Amino acid sequence: MQTFDEIYRRYSPQIYRVCLGYTNDPEHAKDLLQDTFIAVWQGLPSFRQQSQVSTWIFRIATNRCLRAMEVAKRMPSEELPFNLAEPRVDSKEEKLKFLYQCIAELNETDRIIISLELEGLAQAEIASVVGLSSGNIRVKIHRIKEKLTQKFKAHGQFR
Amino acid sequence: MDNLDDFKAIWHAADTKTLPSSEEMLKLISNFRGQKLRNKWLVIISSLILCVLFIAVLCIFSFRLWTTYIGGSLMALASLWLAINNFRSIKRFRQLDDSNNLEFIAFLEQTRKNQVYYYTRTMIYVLAGYSAGYMLYIYELIYKYPTWFTVVYSTFGIYVAVMWFVVRPRAFRRDAARLNAIQQRHEKLLNQFE
Repeated sequence: MQTFDEIYRRYSPQIYRVCLGYTNDPEHAKDLLQDTFIAVWQGLPSFRQQSQVSTWIFRIATNRCLRAMEVAKRMPSEELPFNLAEPRVDSKEEKLKFLYQCIAELNETDRIIISLELEGLAQAEIASVVGLSSGNIRVKIHRIKEKLTQKFKAHGQFR
Repeated sequence: MDNLDDFKAIWHAADTKTLPSSEEMLKLISNFRGQKLRNKWLVIISSLILCVLFIAVLCIFSFRLWTTYIGGSLMALASLWLAINNFRSIKRFRQLDDSNNLEFIAFLEQTRKNQVYYYTRTMIYVLAGYSAGYMLYIYELIYKYPTWFTVVYSTFGIYVAVMWFVVRPRAFRRDAARLNAIQQRHEKLLNQFE
């Protein structure tokens, strides 16, 4: 059984990135990270290892994201126009900002699915976190990847 | 070049160095744990204290009129019911943390339905229990004094009427709009799983 300290060191960067992908707001992501680890700290003594620790933690974090109703109000609901007139930017920070912007325009479950995929979780584990079948997750990831690629190409990021 | 790998490379460029250390997180947790459920625990504890107090008064002191016993019992029951309702709600939240997203949204929708039930049924029963109980309970104290009787009952009648016909409908209208918005959001989220 891992200690809270080990779990926090191992998973906090991943959880933060997933929350940031969902909210596109660093401060809100930090609040959700804290909320997640409060639940982990409270639940750790009774955690019965029916699922992997990582699945359990990602479930808590993504459920916290889904519950953050006020987050939805901050999210842009319109699709990004494909003929953006912004200059092409190649810095890592700008690419990251643009990736978050694109993810923020996806619907809530797609945001979670692509964030977990980008974190490197196996598709079976993503399925277990979200509550869909692995086949369904595979199809969704393919579609999301296509959408992101199109947006990045339209923005001049991919050749 | 595989775009997913490119996306992963960009994704992992996010700065996570500013995150609190595990020691700092533990400090934050000790400050904030339980804060969200604190209000519910306050309601539970206050209701239980009131319930015990009502029962103790009825057991310790001897009253001549049966109205006092019925009134006290009604207020004790209303307090107990309020405590049980809030405790059930906390228990549901505690059982939740190993649910997947789909189960979680179903849980949130059930919570919304429970909140509607709370406003449309539980609050009515609790308010009715307390009002009727209080009116019966104080009868023995004031029935011999017509002035006190009139003042106390008319004041309490006005208070209950204001709560019942002004405050409660206003609060319900405000919360109904919020609960409807939540319902629409849950429906939207559930559609994403189809």
